[in-house]
Amino acid sequence: MRHARLAGWILFSATILSLAVVPGQGGCSRATPPGTVANGKPDGKPRIALVMKSLANEFFATMADGAKAHHAGAGDRYELIANGMRNETDVSEQVTIIEQMVARGVAAIVIAPADSKAVVPALKRAAEAGVLVVNIDNRLDPEVLAETGLAAPFVGPDNREGARRAGEAVAKQLDSGAEVAIIEGIVTAFNGQQRALGLEDAATAAGLRIVARQSGQWEMEKANGIAAAMLSEHPALAAILCANDSMALGAAAAIEASGRRVLLAGFDNVPAVAPLLADGRLCATVDQHGDRLAVEGIEAALAILTGAAAPQDRTTAVDLVTGQP
Amino acid sequence: MNRTRLGGWGVLVLVWLGLVALFGMLADHFLSATTLTTVASRLPALSVVAAGMTLVIIGGGIDLSVGSVMALSGAVLGVAIVQWGWPLAAAIPVAILTGALAGLGTGLVTVGLGIPSFLVTLGSLEICRGLTYAVCDSRTLFIGAAIRPLAQPMPILGIPPTVPVALAVVVAAQAILSRTVFGRHLVAIGANEPAVRLAGIDTATPRVAVFALSGALAGLAAVFASARLGSADPNAGAGLELAAIAAVVIGGTSLSGGSGSVVGSLLGVLVIATLEAGLAQLGASEPLKRIVTGGAIIAAVAADALRRRWEGERG
Repeated sequence: MRHARLAGWILFSATILSLAVVPGQGGCSRATPPGTVANGKPDGKPRIALVMKSLANEFFATMADGAKAHHAGAGDRYELIANGMRNETDVSEQVTIIEQMVARGVAAIVIAPADSKAVVPALKRAAEAGVLVVNIDNRLDPEVLAETGLAAPFVGPDNREGARRAGEAVAKQLDSGAEVAIIEGIVTAFNGQQRALGLEDAATAAGLRIVARQSGQWEMEKANGIAAAMLSEHPALAAILCANDSMALGAAAAIEASGRRVLLAGFDNVPAVAPLLADGRLCATVDQHGDRLAVEGIEAALAILTGAAAPQDRTTAVDLVTGQP
Repeated sequence: MNRTRLGGWGVLVLVWLGLVALFGMLADHFLSATTLTTVASRLPALSVVAAGMTLVIIGGGIDLSVGSVMALSGAVLGVAIVQWGWPLAAAIPVAILTGALAGLGTGLVTVGLGIPSFLVTLGSLEICRGLTYAVCDSRTLFIGAAIRPLAQPMPILGIPPTVPVALAVVVAAQAILSRTVFGRHLVAIGANEPAVRLAGIDTATPRVAVFALSGALAGLAAVFASARLGSADPNAGAGLELAAIAAVVIGGTSLSGGSGSVVGSLLGVLVIATLEAGLAQLGASEPLKRIVTGGAIIAAVAADALRRRWEGERG
């Protein structure tokens, strides 16, 4: 009896949750609502949708702030609809947002995909409805793009090159043959894979030995536990290379607790690592200028919409930030 | 302390020793002082949260909001130290109070409106996470030297000072459960709430109080976690409620309320932390870690169920 009631409540609350999380799924998301014009120009201004991942992630919060500041300075050129998600890896939520944006009659969608593959079909439907798709931050999978026939110019940083430079800055301080460990991001994300490859490139080029490699799922807490375990298991570990700063912060705490001198690299240059850079606990991180990323995507979309530029890929700047030696 | 309970704890200690032996054989440096320090430093946050969760579950409820409450308390702690320049001694009580108030709100709504705590805490999980992002503007706060001493290993003992504090909290929570009127009422409420009410005992106060206590302990966990990481992370504690519930269940507490122990939950936490450290030290992949952790939870609960059946057959 008690269990039946509990199960009932779980079912009930799951239903409520799914309704709350997927607003606008009321059956008409594909149709164009009244009052909007299909080309997204209700009053002559193109309407541009910015679709990001979780705004709880400070990288995307910075991105959204950059886009809003840009829009405030150029408000008469376009209309901005900025969208964030509740959950970083919730692909279905991002697909829902894409469908809503098409329904709202936007001229372009500038998107940082939650998954390199799974959002492509929804974007293809958007493109078929006449919406321009510009891909920023996390690159869509080229094979899936070719298979679906979606053309989406990529505007974003070269994550592999950025990570390679951070790894190189650490490698310079080590002798050939030194032991290093890599803490990766989510392994299914394209930028996670690219950063891991870049860190590997740097280690291989300098003749370092990669003795451990695990995913910290982009999380500080997870990376802290993994770094502590790596330090226990590899007494000669000389450096830990992390695919983002959140994980580098977790690793820094583990290194400090171990009382050893181990070099550290991160990625993103979030404000919280400034003190670590200042006293050298973090050797290097990479600034991919998140605040500029969405703006560059929006500018590219505007240029393509007005016919000023052809839809083509563009690499944005990544800068190495090094700490005090 | 009855024999059945001691038997349950014995099974858990055996499971834990088995894990230690297994990882000791598989990994090169698992049986080392460093590993001991690593596992010990991961215990405090989860064990105090699990202590609060144990009391809530024994009282017939559940608290899904602990992870978010921990993040909120951590954000308040970080902002108080970094942005307001408060000393640690002033910031810690405020962080714990934040957690207690969040728990009090949950308890008042649950009991006042007669809604299952599963649903109310599902709501407060979201509310507290939202408040966390609002408090720290979604940004990680680096606290650094102001809080790190709490998590640095002490000389000679080799464990951080947070560990004895957490152990003291667990002992106190067990004492509250088995030696106070509040604790005994909680067990009775979890077993049969209407009967307790008909006996003329006030059930509302303990039911609200246990959520406030769980919130306060999540606030204390935020202090421990921030000390270990040297930072306040707005995404901290995601999924913590599931780890805490797993520890409580492994520890032999009944999910339907009315029986269980805080010490058992501590052993559950020990098993989970050892498993986590051992798998990381072996360099296990993320999929393998998840599969093994899930399997271990089921195995630990099954071992306890088998022991009960066996003892039941023997009379």
